[in-house]
Amino acid sequence: MKTSLRSKPKPNSPVKRSSLYRGEEPTKMKRQLTITTEPIDEGGLLGMRSMSGGMGAAVYFAGVVRATEENRSIKAIEYEAYGRMAEHQFHLLFDEMEKRWPIESVRLVHRIGAVKVGEPSLWVEVITPHRGESFAACQWLIDEMKRVVPIWKKILA
Amino acid sequence: MRVTITFFSYFKELTGCAQASETLPSGSTLGDLQKQLAVRFPRLAAMQNSTLIAVGVEYQGRGYLLKEGDEVSLFPPVQGG
Repeated sequence: MKTSLRSKPKPNSPVKRSSLYRGEEPTKMKRQLTITTEPIDEGGLLGMRSMSGGMGAAVYFAGVVRATEENRSIKAIEYEAYGRMAEHQFHLLFDEMEKRWPIESVRLVHRIGAVKVGEPSLWVEVITPHRGESFAACQWLIDEMKRVVPIWKKILA
Repeated sequence: MRVTITFFSYFKELTGCAQASETLPSGSTLGDLQKQLAVRFPRLAAMQNSTLIAVGVEYQGRGYLLKEGDEVSLFPPVQGG
């Protein structure tokens, strides 16, 4: 892969009208990436979960906008993405996950635009045979996302 | 050689624009472009060490040799999630 996940930066078929990207790539690991201005429907996502008989672990994570940032009350966070590059970088991360862990499925939704306090801005689910792999892969994906995927936030006080 | 530059996040406020274009001699690198931009946009110069640079959808280092029509993006450290 051209981009080294460790050495580089230091630091489609639309379903919803406002989705910037929603799609899967034909690989062994099922992957679904959604970058959208729409609120994240956690209940709907859980309802669409699909696991084969050999899978025993589904870990999901929701990142929610806190009411304070740096000890100041806030109203919301506005997320901005470089959409085309964000999509590409997410898929590089998914490629790497597929090499590292026996993952059946990964689903990730990142909201952009203004997200109010208490609302989720990120939702990730990883399905594997055992819990250790799911926890490790989910945490790795979020850590790497925060390092390489071009999404920024602006506090709305 | 002419390249376009897109700024993201607060780099748009530092430069006062979302996009710009620059003309450079052939054989120029991203580092050369960054120096040229620092002259044109002095507020960007202070951010040089933390600036991330991409060409198209790939991150590139300062030694990357620019080509005619390259789409360069400059932005601060990412903050998703």
